[in-house]
Amino acid sequence: MPLTTPWRSRALTAALLAAVLTTSTACGDDAAGTSAGGSIKIGLLASLSGTYQAVGTEIRDGFQLYLDTHDGKLGGRQVDLVVADEGNGAQTAVPAATKLLKQDRVSALTGIVGGGSVAGVTPLLNETKVPLVGSNGRPELKDVSRVWHTSYLSDEPGAAIAQHVRDNVKGSVYAIGPDYQGGWDELRGFTDAFGKIGGKLANADGKTTFTPFPATTNFLPYFARIKASGAAAVYTFYAGSAAVDFVKQYAQSEIKDIPLYAAGFLTEGGVLNAQGEAARDIYSVLNYSPDLDNAENRAFVAAWKAKHDGSPTTYALASYDAAAVLDRAIGAAGNDPTPEAINTAIGQLGQIASPRGTWQFSTTTHSPVQKWYLRQVRQDGRALSNTVVGDLATVGR
Amino acid sequence: MIAVAAGTNRIDPYLIPALDGVAYGLLVFVAASGLVFCFGVANILNLAHGLLYAIGGYTAAALLDGGWASLALALAVGVLAAAAAGVLLAGLLTPVATGNHLSQALLTFGVALAGGSLLVAGFGPDNPQVQVPAALEGSVLVAGHRYAAYRLVFIVVAAVLAAALYLVVRRTRAGMLVRAAVDDPEMVACLGVSPARIRAGVLAAAGALAGAAGVLGAPIIGPGTGTADTVLLLSLVVVVLGGLGSMAGTLLAALAIGEIQTLGVALLPSAAPFLLFAAMAAVLAVRARGLAGRWRAA
Repeated sequence: MPLTTPWRSRALTAALLAAVLTTSTACGDDAAGTSAGGSIKIGLLASLSGTYQAVGTEIRDGFQLYLDTHDGKLGGRQVDLVVADEGNGAQTAVPAATKLLKQDRVSALTGIVGGGSVAGVTPLLNETKVPLVGSNGRPELKDVSRVWHTSYLSDEPGAAIAQHVRDNVKGSVYAIGPDYQGGWDELRGFTDAFGKIGGKLANADGKTTFTPFPATTNFLPYFARIKASGAAAVYTFYAGSAAVDFVKQYAQSEIKDIPLYAAGFLTEGGVLNAQGEAARDIYSVLNYSPDLDNAENRAFVAAWKAKHDGSPTTYALASYDAAAVLDRAIGAAGNDPTPEAINTAIGQLGQIASPRGTWQFSTTTHSPVQKWYLRQVRQDGRALSNTVVGDLATVGR
Repeated sequence: MIAVAAGTNRIDPYLIPALDGVAYGLLVFVAASGLVFCFGVANILNLAHGLLYAIGGYTAAALLDGGWASLALALAVGVLAAAAAGVLLAGLLTPVATGNHLSQALLTFGVALAGGSLLVAGFGPDNPQVQVPAALEGSVLVAGHRYAAYRLVFIVVAAVLAAALYLVVRRTRAGMLVRAAVDDPEMVACLGVSPARIRAGVLAAAGALAGAAGVLGAPIIGPGTGTADTVLLLSLVVVVLGGLGSMAGTLLAALAIGEIQTLGVALLPSAAPFLLFAAMAAVLAVRARGLAGRWRAA
């Protein structure tokens, strides 16, 4: 066929465009809260737009649920909740946090979905001397003097399930996860603990297989390697749409009969609905399940279901607990609950009753020392649900 | 005996990735052929091509409900919507001279950004899930391995689509008219055919192809915020690897990309992030004309 411009120049154009497209940019937008006087002001920062919108919304709703069920008060004071949008990461989270801390002058900050956002916001906390009671992302931090988390450390789910996998799997285990900080931490938690108790990985070089993230949408090539490795079980961590792709493709692949163990996020919340039948029988480890049998949880789940479709997730629970922590800390901080006084009071809370069972803050990491549960995706009425099938280790340091 | 067993074992684990590479490659072929068609034949650089695929993908996610009728409906709606978007693009491109790639790139890239935002505003920022017909939900045994039924059927459908495309381009006068319009628009206008209408036709055809790929390929490259970029990127790599000269070159390049993304990943998982671009760089370095040159000569 005749060409109207030299092929070479067009090939160059295409190659340059391909190169440009490999670097992508992310953007989000800021949202503003309102300001009012008189009551205690709490800032909630969560992803209300962008990739983590689902998690951010759960975090906002979990906190709001605690307020709604406690007359809108924390520690006996009417709460003026200022909500701001974290967007996709630190780039949007830091300006939003700056506004909450410096303009709205909140007494405490809560929420924050991304670990990177937390890392970006931490210097501001020390500058303004305001405590953060985070309810999700928890990166490695050197200074946690004003940082508290009601969630978990990324390497804890894997560490909690390692003994169970060692006891119940006859053979080696294939470890696979996404190639980013969260994936490295989640998988390291499992492989370190599993190796210490004599477990053997089925991976060819004895190391975890990491898949490019978020580029990997087709897991079949990896499944072929798992099949060839002769693994007796698979341990993994994926979240969001990668979790849906992984689980759906796993169920249709030649390794569908190999038991799948995972950090709970693989089948948590909305992704489970999207996975449907493909998720049946998957084992996962998490610090919470809506079917836990205790009085706090029954009240929490009933209140949640009255306002929302479906069951609460661990994200909503962590945010609900962040409100509970602030409730007790503000109450204990005396007549003048300054940010400093609240921060000191959080450190003296001791045992905290929660829908997940009783937990407490670790004195070194300021994140929970808590029990982890083994769950399996099973039929619950008409829908599939994560059903607790046993207790695992209590983890925290 | 042991040696024989070891021999089959060495190939056996890679059968499924190799088969999957064909499915992926054919999807890339159908998705990219529209861009190659626009760029190579009509000399229009359409950076909104990925958007046309995404339109098909979102249509599939919105309409598919597990039945065959919904698949037919989604295919019809997706093809029409993407073709209409192509015609709209042609209208926007009217003031831009043919072959002015910079203006075309700026315009179509702007359209791609705006269109992508509209899709996200309309369908939400989450990746919507695609429900394939219930009969294809499961997996089938292929040479003793489990493989997703939908992908196996997709290979057949995409192969038929590719063959049909080949016949249309080879056996109809439409392609000849298009090339004539590029070489000498005035002469074609004298024949009573408006070059603007030819341009609209080419973009509509490219849109229809991308829309069809978007609907049928939704369970493989699903709709989401990054879909348009991914498809445009893969299509541009097809242009680099396969050239603009022949459909065979395009098909070969698309299949190569498919195998690199599946078989290549299975063989060298640690190199997975770089394989595609390593291959592209290698082809550019060794043979600046792409794979197409050899094919034309053959």
